[in-house]
Amino acid sequence: MDFIKNDLDLAPRSVVLGVARDFAAALAETPQFKAFEQAAGRFRQDQEAQQVMQAYQQKQHALRALLMLNAVSTEEQAELERLHHVFVTHPIVQNYFEAQTELASLCQTLGDALSESIGLNYAAACGVSCCG
Amino acid sequence: MQTDLIPVMQEATEALIRHLLASEAFINYQQAQSHLHQDTEARALLDQPAQLQANLRKKQANGGVAQAEIEALRELQSQVQRNHTITAYAQTQQAAVNFLREINNEISQLLGINFASFANHTTC
Repeated sequence: MDFIKNDLDLAPRSVVLGVARDFAAALAETPQFKAFEQAAGRFRQDQEAQQVMQAYQQKQHALRALLMLNAVSTEEQAELERLHHVFVTHPIVQNYFEAQTELASLCQTLGDALSESIGLNYAAACGVSCCG
Repeated sequence: MQTDLIPVMQEATEALIRHLLASEAFINYQQAQSHLHQDTEARALLDQPAQLQANLRKKQANGGVAQAEIEALRELQSQVQRNHTITAYAQTQQAAVNFLREINNEISQLLGINFASFANHTTC
């Protein structure tokens, strides 16, 4: 099959960008996105949730070099695991992770639909690795 | 996990796909892709360096790669770079990727999240 460029059928860049904005607006109105925004807002504003996150991150950061060398003492490892447990079981944090998972599932469905139709892996083309 | 799409989201997705495929970047990419599929010589040329590289790696592991084999690989790579069908395909693919990144930035700016990161299946 050969493609013949026809100016009448060509979608100008500005029009495609406008359709992308419509797509974003539709996504922003989905229950998954609204729930995520709410959960993220609660997480940001909840002092206790922020404190348990910081406590875990600070400990993880302090032990990073030792973790890479597999040289963390049993006590330090147990403390890190305790702080991780406190963090991930905090109701506000749990709610945030659940909302994030729901939104990711929706975005993956959308990304798959785009990838299959355009013949390029959407996330990979946009330079996203496993760490975002 | 697949999520059922509400009609508004389904329509917005179909519209985005339709417009992306009608953009200059994607029309050029599809055209170059079609030319590559039709060009058996270019396709064969694309496969050869990878095969030769794999063979050389095996030989290297056993400690025996001849200079002539390295030169043969360089010559093949040079032929690939000179092939118009292949270079057109690579250039138009890069242009389509760049346009897709621009689209993703537009979507992400409005949402306040990186849409592509959320759409990514791979995790660490």
